[in-house]
Amino acid sequence: MSISYWRRRNNYYKLLGSKCRSCGEEFYPPLYNCRKCRSSEIYDYSMPKEGKIISFTVLREPMSSFKNQQPMILGIIKLKNGVKILSQIVDESENNLQTGDSVKLVFRKINVDECSDQVHYGYKFVKIRV
Amino acid sequence: MSTNRIYIASVGYVEVSDHWGKSIGDLMVEAGLQAMRAAPSIRPDGIIIGNMFSALSSSQEHLGALAATGLDLVGVPAFKVEAACASGAMAANVGYSQVKTGQSEAVLVIGVEKMKDLEQPDITSALSVAESAEYTQYIGASFVALNALLTQIYLEEYNVTRDELSAFPVLSHTNALTSKHAQFRKHITVDDVSKSALISDPLRLLDCAPVGDGAAALLLTNESRINDVSSYPVEVAASSASTNVFSVYERDDMLEFNATKQATKKAFEEAKIDVQDVDTLEFHDAFSITGALSVEAMGFSKPGEGAKDAAIGKFSSKGEIPSQTFGGLKGRGHPVGATGIYQIAELWQQLSGKAGDNQIQDPEIGVAQNMGGIDTTSVITVLKRRE
Amino acid sequence: MQIPQDIAILGYGAYIPRYRLPTTEVGRVWKGAGKGPNVEKALAGLDEDSATMAVESAQKAVEMAEVDDLGAIFVGTETKPYVVKSTGTIVAQVLGQSKTLAADLEFACKAGTEAIQMIMGLVGSGMIKNGLAIGADTAQGRPGDELEYTAASASAAYIISKKTVKSIAQIEGSTSYISDTTDFWRRQHEKYPRHLSRFTGEPAYFHHTQQAVQNLFEEFECKASDFEYAVFHQPNPRFPVEVAHRLGFNIDQIRPGLLSHIIGNPYAANSLLSLAAVLEECKPGDRIMMCSYGSGSGSDAMSIKVLDGIERIKNATYPRIKDMIKDTIKVDYATYSKFRNCFNLGNR
Repeated sequence: MSISYWRRRNNYYKLLGSKCRSCGEEFYPPLYNCRKCRSSEIYDYSMPKEGKIISFTVLREPMSSFKNQQPMILGIIKLKNGVKILSQIVDESENNLQTGDSVKLVFRKINVDECSDQVHYGYKFVKIRV
Repeated sequence: MSTNRIYIASVGYVEVSDHWGKSIGDLMVEAGLQAMRAAPSIRPDGIIIGNMFSALSSSQEHLGALAATGLDLVGVPAFKVEAACASGAMAANVGYSQVKTGQSEAVLVIGVEKMKDLEQPDITSALSVAESAEYTQYIGASFVALNALLTQIYLEEYNVTRDELSAFPVLSHTNALTSKHAQFRKHITVDDVSKSALISDPLRLLDCAPVGDGAAALLLTNESRINDVSSYPVEVAASSASTNVFSVYERDDMLEFNATKQATKKAFEEAKIDVQDVDTLEFHDAFSITGALSVEAMGFSKPGEGAKDAAIGKFSSKGEIPSQTFGGLKGRGHPVGATGIYQIAELWQQLSGKAGDNQIQDPEIGVAQNMGGIDTTSVITVLKRRE
Repeated sequence: MQIPQDIAILGYGAYIPRYRLPTTEVGRVWKGAGKGPNVEKALAGLDEDSATMAVESAQKAVEMAEVDDLGAIFVGTETKPYVVKSTGTIVAQVLGQSKTLAADLEFACKAGTEAIQMIMGLVGSGMIKNGLAIGADTAQGRPGDELEYTAASASAAYIISKKTVKSIAQIEGSTSYISDTTDFWRRQHEKYPRHLSRFTGEPAYFHHTQQAVQNLFEEFECKASDFEYAVFHQPNPRFPVEVAHRLGFNIDQIRPGLLSHIIGNPYAANSLLSLAAVLEECKPGDRIMMCSYGSGSGSDAMSIKVLDGIERIKNATYPRIKDMIKDTIKVDYATYSKFRNCFNLGNR
């Protein structure tokens, strides 16, 4: 699925979502129309790269294309602008993580494509260490 | 809105199991023939298949036409409806509309899923196509992970214990014990749930509906045809659907199943019923957490009390609103595209007095809730026994 | 080389992964006991590669330099994610750059410093305004081989431009010395590099390093005592100390740049990382002599003078090398193997 990955690479590399020119609401993933005020004046906008963990889980039985990365930690993160995103949380054991921890975005390998053998990159989050 | 009343003339289904010897076509035809043979005077003039991922499991699409040939109904218009795990109830919803608008006289609706030809990690991948390819599948988040994240939030928000949530799978297994078509006929306890393998914490193996093959069918028809078949027919009083913001984490309140809520409102309005009128319920317990949030969204429990209500027996066979009477998704099984039809077929059995060992006392109104994704699509079906 | 006297470092960034493999683990598995010349080595996580690490250090360099456009992005690495496909384009896409000359360079451990030299040419000639030179490697030693103790992962990035008041350090002199000497190599079809053990010492590392530095001294009429600090390539903790001594540098001059005893040898990032560690200790007016070494073989030697602009970064909250070497995650040999196999194999 390398073409479909390529299509979204700016979204994946820069956390590019949408912002509404009319009401200022921000969204990730990007939208075609503002879900809040219904305006069509929506434009590309990069999300902030820091946030807090709302919830996380250790997935021990992932889908086939991620089997070699198990176990994986996945979390819902609320970014500084209030937008919630779904991402992997890495470089930390689950015992060192808790809800409310501050995290920041890093650029990592997501996977090697099953068909094309291309490397797909994108965003993950790590705990912010003082 | 048409005033035609729609009835279920007959049902048919196969046991939910690992049907190594049966293909997707075999399963569809078996269930379909059962329903047709139970009402031989009605020849369907429409076929609708509910299925989620036949292309991935069986390299097979064009299921409607495949069923038409298999059922010896060549010439009958046929197509597939897909709405992830709500494909079954959604297919029934379309069938209901077709008969209601007079487009068809009798529609055969068959829900089918062939899951076991794939190995587990590939089944997980196939199920994940119900979520965003670009933003969810892309990072390896499957449904069990999403539901686990939701479970964490729910348990914390409402101070619900792990054991209270486990009441859902325990209930399902209890009812499945005497259900001949259930995939798992094994008693489990709250302790068994807590000891089962962690899949994505805090969800364990026994929190998750199993994977299996199945097919179930309904023959829907109008008032003029039903009297040939039954004197105490079961009416489809309402079938309503709604959608929610696609991915659960994109929603302002992740614990609110708005699609289920809206579909329930529309369906109950159409059927002219209230929560208190419902005698039996089939809710979408694909995971323990979806059971809790579903009963809350439909209004059978207050927000945050779904699990607590299950723990005190509100939904058990002797409880206030007997639910999952043949085992629900967890006990009877969840061959995803077929589930919605199994739910409706089981309600039909209850309301027709044909539920055997699982019969509950004199139910008149039954409700089924079938979801696609995590409340991304929700379909509510209301059945009424006509006196 | 004839160097224009207005080429300077405007910003830099470094990245060391958090994971560490204690060399006692390598010793335990392959020899029953013992450890390497270094205590631990820095290990890239299963989802890291030269591209991801290049991006991490490049982003920090861009932040420090405060530039919007990069006329060139050169990535020096011997562990490219693709044999054919530019790593520089991945860095460019993340940084939002497209009007850019991107190239991947290979010269073993000196690919990073030669990237700097090439960018100096582009900047000096006026062809570009700002150029980004990166050294990044996820070096992997052959299991059971001596180099498995030291082969490590890291990256460092430098933005070079014409000197301004913001510039951190000027590159006053630069020279390169090469010869056809194959002490350490990897053929295209091979998974791990090979080497000639002791031959990698005198005829390779020592000869080229010493010659390059002597050429630098001659060309730019300087000597060891003219420098406050010196950075040498560190394939192990012992070689840089020995070569420094031979060239007339003392231990205090090289101490701030010594990292290999705790992180191992991150190949193309090696000298550049040590330079970053030294820059953290410097004050305006200090001179640094940096000499890299890349097998194959060659050495790049540079004379770098610290400018007033270094005060700008001292007060800011840029991540320091000292912080990157704390709070590490120690793994065992099994986990290291799992990480490593995730690099090289597909999903099945």
